[in-house]
Amino acid sequence: MVDQLPNLGREKEMLEAMGMSSMDDLFADVPEPVRTVGELPLRGPQTEEEIIADARRILGSNVALGERVSFLGAGLSRNYVPASVFQLITRGEFLTSYTPYQPEVSQGMLQAMWEFQTLISELVGLEVSNLSVYDSSTAAAEALTCAVRVHNRKAEQKDTVYISELIPPARMSVIYNYTQGGGITIKTLKHNDDGTLDLDSLAEAKGSCGVYLEQPNPLGIIDGGLTRVKEIIGENTAFILGVAPVSLGLLEAPGNYGVDIVVGEGQALGSPITYGGPLYGIFACTKAYLRMMPGRIVGKSIDVDGKEAFCLTLSTREQHIRRHRATSNICTNETLIALMGAMHMALLGPEGLEKLAKRNIAACYLAKEKLSQIPTIAIPHFQNSHFNEFVVELPGLAADCLEYLDTQGVIGGFDLSTWYPKKGNWLLVSFSDQTKASEIELLAAHLAVWSASLVKEVTA
Amino acid sequence: MSHLFEHYGASGQGYSQPDPIISTDNIQIPSTLVRSKLPRWPRISEPEMVRHYTWLSSRNFGIDTGFYPLGSCTMKHNPRINEVIAQIPGIADIHPLQPEHHIQGTLAIFHEMQEMLGICAGMDAVTLQPVAGAQGEFTAIRCIQEYFRSRDELQRTKVIVPDSAHGTNPASAAMAGFEIVEIPSREDGRIDLDALSSVVGDDTAAMMITNPNTLGLFEPDIAEAASIVHDAGGQMYYDGANFNAILGRTSPGIMGFDAVHYNLHKTFSQPHGGGGPGSGPIGVKSHLAEFLPGPVVRKRPVLPDDKITAVNTEWWFHWHEPENSIGKVQQWHGNSGAVIRCWAYYRRYGNQLKTMSEHAVLNANYLRHRIIEEAKEKGVSDLFCDGAPVEVAKHEFTLSLAPMKEKMGLGAMDVAKGLLDKGYMAPTVYFPLVVPECMMIEPTETESKDTLDEFARKFVEVLQEDPDTLHNAPVTTKVRRVDEVYAARNLTLSYQFDE
Repeated sequence: MVDQLPNLGREKEMLEAMGMSSMDDLFADVPEPVRTVGELPLRGPQTEEEIIADARRILGSNVALGERVSFLGAGLSRNYVPASVFQLITRGEFLTSYTPYQPEVSQGMLQAMWEFQTLISELVGLEVSNLSVYDSSTAAAEALTCAVRVHNRKAEQKDTVYISELIPPARMSVIYNYTQGGGITIKTLKHNDDGTLDLDSLAEAKGSCGVYLEQPNPLGIIDGGLTRVKEIIGENTAFILGVAPVSLGLLEAPGNYGVDIVVGEGQALGSPITYGGPLYGIFACTKAYLRMMPGRIVGKSIDVDGKEAFCLTLSTREQHIRRHRATSNICTNETLIALMGAMHMALLGPEGLEKLAKRNIAACYLAKEKLSQIPTIAIPHFQNSHFNEFVVELPGLAADCLEYLDTQGVIGGFDLSTWYPKKGNWLLVSFSDQTKASEIELLAAHLAVWSASLVKEVTA
Repeated sequence: MSHLFEHYGASGQGYSQPDPIISTDNIQIPSTLVRSKLPRWPRISEPEMVRHYTWLSSRNFGIDTGFYPLGSCTMKHNPRINEVIAQIPGIADIHPLQPEHHIQGTLAIFHEMQEMLGICAGMDAVTLQPVAGAQGEFTAIRCIQEYFRSRDELQRTKVIVPDSAHGTNPASAAMAGFEIVEIPSREDGRIDLDALSSVVGDDTAAMMITNPNTLGLFEPDIAEAASIVHDAGGQMYYDGANFNAILGRTSPGIMGFDAVHYNLHKTFSQPHGGGGPGSGPIGVKSHLAEFLPGPVVRKRPVLPDDKITAVNTEWWFHWHEPENSIGKVQQWHGNSGAVIRCWAYYRRYGNQLKTMSEHAVLNANYLRHRIIEEAKEKGVSDLFCDGAPVEVAKHEFTLSLAPMKEKMGLGAMDVAKGLLDKGYMAPTVYFPLVVPECMMIEPTETESKDTLDEFARKFVEVLQEDPDTLHNAPVTTKVRRVDEVYAARNLTLSYQFDE
């Protein structure tokens, strides 16, 4: 017996009111040849108690990060989200509302998203922020198509954008899928051996529509050279930067060093990792890109009495008005997760953000120091500054090392050969505000044992 | 009025954090990258912050607040057990790069969802990766594009959409690089087979359509339309936004579709959260399966060497990359949190999902009937008409307020605002574009007969309002009619700080 249907048992009465006698009458317009015959071949309905028991049993076989010591990051970050955030977003007025098409009864979410826009604008140093796209990868992809729309007319390299060669393949794949339809050519930018951007290679991007880079980059490197990007590419090429938002508690707001569009993964502010979704993508830009940007945006207005009020604005860019000429097909976004982000940001405040950034960088540096003392492993970009993560070069395959660490109850990091096939010995280790000093000691000890055993095998 | 940014108390009062595990005094970052000024975020304590957001929530209308007949959006009740399940550490605290033996539980649920969605829509293969309906559309169209490329049919550059289609259909196909051919609907709101025949050809890649269509009407000629498109060598794409109407009664597969997206945040009760997150899996027939975004979940019998953290002793679940995958549309594996909520919803109904759809259609027809009867009784039935002729509606129906507009100068928007004053969320207005002064009403299956009766009475009361009253509505809401033109002309997209 299913529940949740208030009119169970009242079907007859309702049908009779309409002059019908059975549920079949309601589907009389479905022609016989396209009707489903028989019952759906699915399991029977369950009660709430049975569902929760099954959920606990099935999901209990997952290994949660919190059960282990974990150094897995690669763009997502273990964090602490204050308790009040989880409590507040379960309020049904937020949770069960739709996109605020009727502003008079949606002032709460509209104002909360306008505040979110302000929090993001302040964080990245740009005037405009939308109220989220799906994730960092689609944010990057939509930023590139936006850049082409804005700059193509004047561009010498038409329909062309440049992307760092370090970009993870999954992100690159999303970008390809989003840009191929527009006939956009993607060229890559080279990096120096120390992991920083090759600024000579960047000169080739001058005259193109846009350049997409990340800070910190996918190897965790904070690249000081990026403050020179805008002067090299010039004003007719968009400088698009993917950021780790927590790092901006210590790092300069990208809007202050020439970045035109900031994108990024919002997750570390407000959301658990949740197996990679739902997350929320940050999208912020200068006013020059405003009318070509994707997604919803809230503006402040007035009501007929002149009272302050909020509503969605600039919707003439969007699919429901502009249809195939829209700047994007995005409709549903990640509002509720962005709301969690806003709540977390509000509770942190400016100094709280700075402290959170310091906790993250401190864990990364303690790990750099400890791991650099192990003679059998190397840290190839040691001289650079890092945030959250760095590369360790092992005497053997990262895949083997991870398997060993797994037997020791440690999720050791990420095998970078997945991204860079030639780098079989590269392990990306990640640290966040949740990393404890004792955990770093444990990682160092295990890496020392594993790599020493390997070096011994080789010399023997 | 309370502004978040007017809270500026002592620093660090929101919540206190442990100190960094080492001193950061000696950590060097490039001097040009040292932050010059912290963001002007508020300094707000937890009690103030909780009150601020609670106050904001009191200024927002959700399904929990009241009846939410927003057509095309399927605003059904969101069962609360789904929220409880989503907080289990085995879903919230796992990473998409963990090895398969760490995530057997998630993979088992993904597999069950892939199978279930495939069965419900009559499709052979499913991916859960797209994170929203529009992204699902885009993903399926990309698969169709690669299918034709693989067959060297590069001349198939056009996608056909009816003029009543959701705006995302043409937007998604255009994003993939297709040219859009819009065909007019017939007078009665249905597909015009002649119009369709006249535009198909060897340049047709696909037709995108939803059935029931955006007028809430079942397309009786759907099989014929599919034949016309297939005979021309094109593919049929099913926009699953209206799937709630037909589950268990018919399926896109039976109707002749090759690909479909599902809106898990509509049909399967993922909360809409003020605009997201959603989840937009797609299902395809076998000839398109090799192009799906990867990876998808498969299962095989457990082997002795498997690291046993398996869900059961029988099956081992693993990722599989489709042979000619289009790649990724989201960085990881989609909105897993939404998929698992919807799994809980599915388990609640199981093979009785048909009952859910039947009640959705029952409620829509009953409400339409009640509104018409009530209007007749009160003598205002000449103020509106059906958006299109209806024998029986599906999960939603449209009314045109064009007669009212003509008689009184008041239209769909005014009635919508009048309904806000009665304590309801307004139906969708001015969509589909083919119906003048359109109001699209979708009650869903989780509303009681009493609620529907009451809404019909109030709806007719609104029609009977004095024109001035209606013109001035709403008056009981937190703010009155908002000036959207002002917002666009005086763009204020963030809080203006005193310098």
